[in-house]
Amino acid sequence: MYVVIISAGRTGAHLANLLLSQDHEVRIIENRKDVLGWIHKELPSEVVIEGDPLDPTVLEQAGIRQADVVAAVTTSDEMNLVQCYLARTTYGVTRTIARVNNPRNAWLFNDTFRVDVAVNQASIMATLIEEEMNTGDMITLLKLRHGKYLLVEETVQAGAKGVGLAIKDTHLPEHCVIAAISRKGEIIVPRGLTVFEEGDQVMAVTDAEGARVLCELFEVPEIPAARTNGNGHS
Amino acid sequence: MRVLVIGCGRLGSELAYRLYKSGHEVSIIDIRKDAFFKLPADFIGVTHEGDAMGREVLNRAGIEHVDALVVVTGSDVLNAVVGYIGREIYHIPNVVVRNYDPQYRYLFEAFDLQVVSALSWGAQRMEEMITQGNIRTVFSAGNGEVEVYEIIVPQSCHGVSVKSILNANCIPVAITRSGRSLLPNQDMLLEPGDVIMVSATMEGARLFSNRLCEMTQEA
Repeated sequence: MYVVIISAGRTGAHLANLLLSQDHEVRIIENRKDVLGWIHKELPSEVVIEGDPLDPTVLEQAGIRQADVVAAVTTSDEMNLVQCYLARTTYGVTRTIARVNNPRNAWLFNDTFRVDVAVNQASIMATLIEEEMNTGDMITLLKLRHGKYLLVEETVQAGAKGVGLAIKDTHLPEHCVIAAISRKGEIIVPRGLTVFEEGDQVMAVTDAEGARVLCELFEVPEIPAARTNGNGHS
Repeated sequence: MRVLVIGCGRLGSELAYRLYKSGHEVSIIDIRKDAFFKLPADFIGVTHEGDAMGREVLNRAGIEHVDALVVVTGSDVLNAVVGYIGREIYHIPNVVVRNYDPQYRYLFEAFDLQVVSALSWGAQRMEEMITQGNIRTVFSAGNGEVEVYEIIVPQSCHGVSVKSILNANCIPVAITRSGRSLLPNQDMLLEPGDVIMVSATMEGARLFSNRLCEMTQEA
């Protein structure tokens, strides 16, 4: 794919490196002198286009007309919106991706400004942290559909509710499917009659609600410290 | 009329005050609270501190109910974005935005917004005043790409036809003779003291002005 990245800050440079390692054609536009100083050391010189990303001749030089994707990742939300809009309406780019810096501006990152995908870093961080807080020992292996569905892995703890239970008796919610069980180094393809054992590593495709149910099933709830020391207020 | 002004710099505060003085209901947004000190003490209107891309700020300033939106911040990118929000999301019938740096003028064309380039317009007027001293602009269309000029026909042009002093980028609009205006045709003969109005591009006006000078020198 041919990808034009607007702005070579930390995000842009990291993205460019990642895409280059996957053999994509990449151009990155940057006009800040201090950034250009170090970006040339990190990226091949033909990848870096020096100039104002609002200057049509610079965009043309970056080959925007043949780009499959434009990724606008500057630290200015209005700039990212304008770049997506121009990419689609002026240069016919089929896929546009924009970084959302201020979550309050997220409401604008949609088809109005021809943004196909909005990457809202603050909300991604918040979601990740929230997940870490809620899911204890569960590991998220993969996110599907922008994080609406997850592929998770969970180890069945000793004494958990799910130990000795067959899958058909677990009453999992609709959007939660057990995909595989790893037991003593062997993979078991789960069936309705498969019974969970202590130490099983269970992989499941699920939404957030299903993930919560899996936690209840496979983890032993920790007794909150406040209860054990008997003060009840802390 | 209810008008929302975005940006309370020199242009924004001046405009807000003028609108208030002519009886309009004005609200004005700026990201910096101290910007509102530029408004004259007798200005009456609602000021809102905040980012003009924020939905709550726009709603608080009554964007859903205004008849016109003017976006005059110092950032062309922001002006384009907020003007476009006004038209596309809030369907405001009258949206005018400011072009700050002439090199970004094309942005407003891409968003199909009504734009005023104060800087280009000012520079062009000054250039005209210096280079075309003998003719006077009476009307600017758009951003001054076409203007209407007025001149008093000099003695040297007595008896020459209208078409002999004009060019392809300069067409006659009206001739006023003895206090009475006429629609000119190309073959009409000029008389000294006639006031002729022409509609011309800047290039057309320059050629017209040069032609008049030549005729004066020939005479």
